[in-house]
Amino acid sequence: MMEFFGLPLHGGDADAQAGGGFEGGFEGGFDGGAAGSGAEDKSGSHAAQSLGDTLRWAFELDESPAIAGATFLTREIIPAARDPFEAIAGGVATLAQLEDLKGAYKMLRTTGATAPERSLAARLYAATIAAALVRHGALITRQSPFALAKAFEELSADREMPERIRELGMMALDALAKHR
Amino acid sequence: MNSRSNPSMTQTNWDLIRDAASGSATAQASLDAVMKRAWPAVYAYIRASGRRSEEATELTQAFICDVFLSRHLLEKADQARGRFRTLLLGAVRNYLADVHRRRHAQSRMPKGGLVAIEAAADGGAEFTSDGGDGSPERAFHARYLAGLIRTASERLQRELEADGDAASWEIFRTRVLQAAFQGDAPGYEELAPRLGLERGQCAAKLLVAKRRFATLLMDELRATVSDPDAVREEVGDILSLLKGR
Repeated sequence: MMEFFGLPLHGGDADAQAGGGFEGGFEGGFDGGAAGSGAEDKSGSHAAQSLGDTLRWAFELDESPAIAGATFLTREIIPAARDPFEAIAGGVATLAQLEDLKGAYKMLRTTGATAPERSLAARLYAATIAAALVRHGALITRQSPFALAKAFEELSADREMPERIRELGMMALDALAKHR
Repeated sequence: MNSRSNPSMTQTNWDLIRDAASGSATAQASLDAVMKRAWPAVYAYIRASGRRSEEATELTQAFICDVFLSRHLLEKADQARGRFRTLLLGAVRNYLADVHRRRHAQSRMPKGGLVAIEAAADGGAEFTSDGGDGSPERAFHARYLAGLIRTASERLQRELEADGDAASWEIFRTRVLQAAFQGDAPGYEELAPRLGLERGQCAAKLLVAKRRFATLLMDELRATVSDPDAVREEVGDILSLLKGR
């Protein structure tokens, strides 16, 4: 079976071999269903959809606002989430999910494509710690209480954050005081 | 590896076509690179036109020889003509129609050798599909796009590994490519411990890799159109062609 980047190909192997005079095996798995079985056509359809989504995603990249990266990360961890704010402040996220979100936003603070995206990631990072503290009574960071208090204060004072995120910052300040 | 030994790494399709037609020292390598990019889509078109696998392979080989190697396509391929995809599609469509005409002409030719004039008027209608479901055009475009994605993926892999970030490549390979071509992908709970990362870090690395891939893919698309502003139109066309498959 031919492979593409270690991915075994499916469907239309004969076509993949025959059409692969120049390593066409990759495409053989993609569209082997042209004259193949229903199963092959189904997998080809899935790949076409995926490739179309990837292309659309690539094309729209330059038009994405700062929140696009954070939304992508949020949905990678909580697929049903509408946006990061809902995921963090909605009260539905488990402690493990909040820890995963924290790790993702933490990295986005430095790898974000733009300054607004990195800035937003920093706020969301603080917000996940706040949510873990308020909703689950857990401190999911080793940052000092002083640094945390400062981050929560800034979060609650940031007028660009949704109201529920700012409220979460306020509640986290209270919770931190009790936690000490 | 430098561009001389592998021109496909750095040159656009149009650069390669011009170089292949130029007779320069790198012409053969450029020709090989163009053929490598063109082969799967050409084969897919011929196969979807109803040819058996073996015949499609032979016709693809013949197309490469007759159209590429004889440089008819290369001579026509000046940038003013627009998109490489449409140039290639038109060439293979016409080639099949020519093959059809020749075969009909041979079968109709009397022993005396007179040319059957009506054969010239036979446009080979069965080879000029309107692009409906399962059409040769759809197969052509699907594999053409797959080829672009493969090239962009190969570049991404090289770049990430050169950066010492093999983990990002592994996450992208499994979460994007494997998901697309196998329909499933390992979750972060499986990937993260294997790569020595936290789950959130895996997601963040995927975002960076996917963005980098998107940039590379757009580079590849720009390389196939003569006018950079035509990229939007090209993307729109490909998306509509894939839609509803």
